[in-house]
Amino acid sequence: MRRKPADTARQLVALSRRSTVAIFRQPALVGPSMIFPLFFAALGSSAFSRAINLPGFPKVDSYLQFTLAGTVIQGVLFGSVTGAAALATDIQDGFFDRLLAAPTSRTSILFGRLAGSSFFGALQALVFLLALLPFGVVVQAGVVGYASIVVAGFLTAFAVGALMSVVALKTGSAEAVQGTFPVLFILLFLSSAFFPRETMSGVYRRIADVNPISYMVEGQRWLAIDGLSLTAMLQTLAIPTGVAVVTTALALRQLSARLAAR
Amino acid sequence: MSSAPIVAENLVRHFGEVKAVDGINLTVEQGEIFGFLGPNGAGKSTAVRMLTTLLRPTSGTARVAGFDVVKQADDVRRSIGVALQDAAIDPLMTGFELLELQAVLYGIPSSKMKQRADDLLERVGLTAAADRRVGTYSGGMRRRLDLALSLIHQPVVLFLDEPTTGLDPMSRLTLWEEVRRLNREGTTVMLTTQYLEEADQLADRIAIIDHGRIVRQGKPADLKRTVGDPTLLINVSRSQSDAAKSVLSRFGELRPTAEGSLGVGLRGGAERVAEVVRALDDAKIVVEHLELNQPSLDDVFAEATGHRLEGAENAPQAG
Repeated sequence: MRRKPADTARQLVALSRRSTVAIFRQPALVGPSMIFPLFFAALGSSAFSRAINLPGFPKVDSYLQFTLAGTVIQGVLFGSVTGAAALATDIQDGFFDRLLAAPTSRTSILFGRLAGSSFFGALQALVFLLALLPFGVVVQAGVVGYASIVVAGFLTAFAVGALMSVVALKTGSAEAVQGTFPVLFILLFLSSAFFPRETMSGVYRRIADVNPISYMVEGQRWLAIDGLSLTAMLQTLAIPTGVAVVTTALALRQLSARLAAR
Repeated sequence: MSSAPIVAENLVRHFGEVKAVDGINLTVEQGEIFGFLGPNGAGKSTAVRMLTTLLRPTSGTARVAGFDVVKQADDVRRSIGVALQDAAIDPLMTGFELLELQAVLYGIPSSKMKQRADDLLERVGLTAAADRRVGTYSGGMRRRLDLALSLIHQPVVLFLDEPTTGLDPMSRLTLWEEVRRLNREGTTVMLTTQYLEEADQLADRIAIIDHGRIVRQGKPADLKRTVGDPTLLINVSRSQSDAAKSVLSRFGELRPTAEGSLGVGLRGGAERVAEVVRALDDAKIVVEHLELNQPSLDDVFAEATGHRLEGAENAPQAG
């Protein structure tokens, strides 16, 4: 008997709900991923306040306005690992087996887990945008710009969560997933998250030029600084979507490999 | 192939060079409680994981609820309930939320979901704890919730993998009673256990598995009868062990025992105990402890495998 699409959709919604609820029931997980990026933003704003006068910097009122997009991406990267780590924990603890022993759609297990961290990514983006408002940091693109950045938070969390899920499915170890996180952090610092690429040189610049995080950040940055434009919108939404397509394909392949190895 | 709810033929599973399950054949009839008895690592859980579609057999075939476990895996999953020993229950969710999730996974309509969850919570005595997170549950409560989860879709075959391992005696009794009740209602149950008493108390038939092979299969009473004579167990000092063995061997065949004891299948039974005591006394052997045990499943296990069931002596006694 084949599973009906409606049943698969119901399973996906129920598993997404589970993973979303689980995140908000762990304050120790939610707190740091909300607070640390804002802390880094405050630190950067204080330390690099005069850096905005350097050649290559766009015209901005404050470093905080420049770094808004970097803060959003940094926070989302922090949070996006939670879904993959939770998937690995499911494998370690046997909850994954519980799901497999039921007539559960296999892809729903993966997407359900990613949904929680993706919704959390969107919420993080919204919280960062609102938290920086009192400091005069406004997204010039207006409501559409705010909405695009929030959606980008969802997509980025999904893309990175899928990538981390490859590790989770390969190793079945939450420690291995957490252990991979510093690589993301290094990639963030080797992007234009905190300084424009125009101010960089040498290897650092070459890495930033090919680093997808640079392009995710810059789309949001244009929305924040320059206002609404089709290019900025597309870059904000299309880059994380493209990355998500690739990382999801990798995660699905790894899921198949894990199931086939049984 | 038979139409019985569980049929396995030459089921084999290798992990690299290790033969975890090495060609088992079994048939579980409709309405039976079938016990799979064996020590840790004997292959019980691997066999159950194959029967519940979680592992693919290396070779051999199995049908559960009439469906092939490999070719019709999803149909098997819809027909069975599974409570696995090592499958954790999400500690961040409440009992009710988990039942709701399980209901969705099995395609139970939303309109029937709440009633079904409430009924099951009541059945396993967890109504008052339904809205508490599972992380706050005791081990016994988790097992009862696990049982409720496995029953959400009213399965025709129920697999219970070591359902009472680690539970206190009272929780074990409660779970046994629930398993009997389910069975009376028509559910075929296959349970794995390393506890002799559990297999003896619950199972209509058992299979003893050791090193991946079924070494004995049948009704507990019939199996015990095959062992024949009761076991006389004595404890003596280490220095007198060889002399004691020599005396005991005159009264029957020596049997494997737990370390520190000597055992003999006493030909002629209880009537000859006095005679054994006199012979030991004549040989100047000081007996520290003596007991006569009627044939048990442990004797069946020992007779079949050459060793006692690991950990059987440490199993908590229920009642």
